[in-house]
Amino acid sequence: MRVIRHIAVNVFKESVRDKVLYNLVLFAILLMAASYLLSQLTAGQDIKIIKDLGLAAMQLFGLFMAVFIGIGLVSKEVERRSIYSLLSKPIRRQEFVIGKYVGLVLTLAVNLAIMTVAYYAVLGYMAWMAGSWFKPGWEAPAMDPALLKAVAMIMLQLMVITAVALFFSTFSSPMLSAGLTFGFYIVGHFNADLKHFEAIIDSRPVVYLARALYYLLPNLAPLDVKAQVVHALPVPAAYLLLNTAYAFVYIAALLTASSFIFLRRDFK
Amino acid sequence: MLAIQTTDLSKDFPVGFWRPRPYRALDKLTLEVEQGETFGFLGPNGAGKTTTLKLLMQLLYPTSGRAEILGRPVGDVGVKRRIGYLPESPYFYDYLTAEELLSYFASLVGYGAAERRRRVSALLDEVGIGSERRLQLRKFSKGMLQRVGIAQAILNDPEVVFLDEPMSGLDPLGRREVRNLILSLRDRGCTVFFSSHVLADAEALCSRVAILASGRLIASGKITDIHAFQVRGWELIVAHLSGESLERHRARMRKVTAIADRQYALELPLEPGPDGLLRDLIGEGAHLVSLNPTRESLEDFFIQQVGQQEPR
Amino acid sequence: MRPGRPWVYGAAITLLMVVAVGVQVVRGRTYGDTALDDRLLYLRSGTVAAKAALSFDTLLADVYWIRALQHFGNDRLRPNIPGRFELLYPLLDLTTTLDPDFVVAYRFGAIFLSEPDPGGASRPDLAIALLKKGVRTTNRWEYYYDIGFVYYWNLHDYTNAADWFRRGGDLPGAPWWLRTYAAVMLTKGGDRQASRFLWQEVLQRPDTNEWLRNTAQMRLLQLDALDQIDILRRAVSEFQRRTGKLPERWRQLVAAGLLRGEPVDPSGTPYTLNFATGEVNVSGYSPLHPLPTEPR
Repeated sequence: MRVIRHIAVNVFKESVRDKVLYNLVLFAILLMAASYLLSQLTAGQDIKIIKDLGLAAMQLFGLFMAVFIGIGLVSKEVERRSIYSLLSKPIRRQEFVIGKYVGLVLTLAVNLAIMTVAYYAVLGYMAWMAGSWFKPGWEAPAMDPALLKAVAMIMLQLMVITAVALFFSTFSSPMLSAGLTFGFYIVGHFNADLKHFEAIIDSRPVVYLARALYYLLPNLAPLDVKAQVVHALPVPAAYLLLNTAYAFVYIAALLTASSFIFLRRDFK
Repeated sequence: MLAIQTTDLSKDFPVGFWRPRPYRALDKLTLEVEQGETFGFLGPNGAGKTTTLKLLMQLLYPTSGRAEILGRPVGDVGVKRRIGYLPESPYFYDYLTAEELLSYFASLVGYGAAERRRRVSALLDEVGIGSERRLQLRKFSKGMLQRVGIAQAILNDPEVVFLDEPMSGLDPLGRREVRNLILSLRDRGCTVFFSSHVLADAEALCSRVAILASGRLIASGKITDIHAFQVRGWELIVAHLSGESLERHRARMRKVTAIADRQYALELPLEPGPDGLLRDLIGEGAHLVSLNPTRESLEDFFIQQVGQQEPR
Repeated sequence: MRPGRPWVYGAAITLLMVVAVGVQVVRGRTYGDTALDDRLLYLRSGTVAAKAALSFDTLLADVYWIRALQHFGNDRLRPNIPGRFELLYPLLDLTTTLDPDFVVAYRFGAIFLSEPDPGGASRPDLAIALLKKGVRTTNRWEYYYDIGFVYYWNLHDYTNAADWFRRGGDLPGAPWWLRTYAAVMLTKGGDRQASRFLWQEVLQRPDTNEWLRNTAQMRLLQLDALDQIDILRRAVSEFQRRTGKLPERWRQLVAAGLLRGEPVDPSGTPYTLNFATGEVNVSGYSPLHPLPTEPR
């Protein structure tokens, strides 16, 4: 645990030094500029649009971070051979893999937390500006705490994607890893179609194959509750709990596989 | 208990993408290094030195054979606590300072915060990194990185240190510093296993050497014991040597090179020894400048060895 | 020789994947395959845009909603261009397909579509189609109410209006006054008093936003203007009965003691008097122009 913690902290430190957090500035500017422009445009519904925009931006920024840092975590160390001296220290390779993962998740969590604060600040400002005229027409209050549910689900998605990126980067090149990880993200959102393949195709084996893929590939669509939350529709706690359980188990499987591959790997 | 022991250690790398065939990088290496020894691992580039070191660090897994450090199989975390390793042309994290890097590694070894600070500061002094220690490593020169690499290798007061080409990339002053560092490690009782392609490094430091070419061990033992490096003759340098006496004794010399006016470098065969000739020359008015035994150079030896290898 | 026993890791991964599949099955049984709602069928019905948007479909919906607003706003200022408001329905349709819960897009969209020329697209049929789509997807009472209103105000179809008000009033969470609306429709459909009642109701409700509030205030002023025009018409008839000819200016009526001064509509703009036909109307310059078609 000590080793994992130290490796994780080092990942966080490096990404902060690498100016990864600059994206937060971009996020804040985007959100503020958008809210200013939209307030000129739409009839009292700008708050809904800001909510959508903020959540979408968090997810997109997080996705790019997860993929591009995630694939670099291991492959960069191998490519630059910094791993040689690291692995000669009294650590296990599995601890290296898990430490790297925890470090990136930590970085993402801090990032998302800061974005959430900025998000609520903009929403609060919008509510203050709007005065009492529009508010009765809103589906939900501006600084709706339920939005945190969507943020939490975004975090879960990013954690899964990070694990996918790490998995690929233990055995393939950075470019290929990036492509595959984005592919998994997209598939993860279309997954539900695979389950209903029999509606399109008549072949039994193909349907079974599609069904198997549905269960094996990461299923991210159910983790996307942005629309529900923005429209103040109910999102039961049990549903969120199931999503969390799914994500954690899936991540555990990916990390186990990553550790195994990494453990047996030669560093030429 | 031996510090390092390998038994028939071999490593194949697959070559070619479509139908990979094994390429043997290391062939049945059997080696024993006693504790407290300073052991030179010599060979030209591509001989398999780095592969051997990576096998000992378990960065590679052997195709066959066994390797043990301090009586335990390599890769054992307990063993890793007692050793240090300097990779060839080391590279670390761009965005950490030298101090932070060493502190990070020290934390992985398991030292507490106060102990870390003390060790890191002392180590950086020892390898000669001054105020640069607060600089991010991406601003470091190759020589400076080499020093950081050595510092991290001896961070945990190791019992065995593995150094892969510790002198490469260093200027003459740096080479001398590393040499002194290795000597001080030896004095502390630390086993040093280092690779090099420069014989002079080994001659100055090592109690024993092993010579590797094309993945095979071709000689090992004390430098003076290795047949290839035994005295082959003598080099005699004399001044004030007259032309007549040079002519008179020419048959007793293998080769004559004029260095300056009436000053010559004379190569003499091993037998019958330089004594008689030296006495005669001095008797005829020459002055002795120096007398040295000559050995075959490592380079000559490699060229000769590679020439003997059957083509692959 | 290499560490890590494959079967141990293999078994661990298999076990974890089995648990993951189990969780997925439980979630699927309880909540369906996509995030909570029945949008799945909707997306599968061939909407390429929603697919291309990946998980950002609600954001894309916002973009189309903004485009719909711009399209409506631009065309409203240019009464004579060909194909006016042509894109309004397709944009609204796309918006609500991408985000079926986008309440405002349905409700405001319906108003934009149903408003008579030149204030809107004059397509109450499309307004009703859009709202019915909302009824199919999320079934809010507000959509029933809006459909009823289009039937009442734009189509003067009181039977249908009453029917939609009643059905909306039956939904859970619907306000009590929807049933009142239904009753009003059935008893005195085309009555100006009924109109006044409905708009006043809109004005007083707490969930009315600024835009709707302005609209309601304007409608009430227009209803006042209609009342005043009735009085003015009676005065014109009286003048014709007394003098045998039509008045040419309001001043003549004032001189005859039929009016106290030159009449202005509730916005302060003078009424117009057509000296050839004796017809009274609001001025083209008045913000109240054009007056709604009087329900019959």
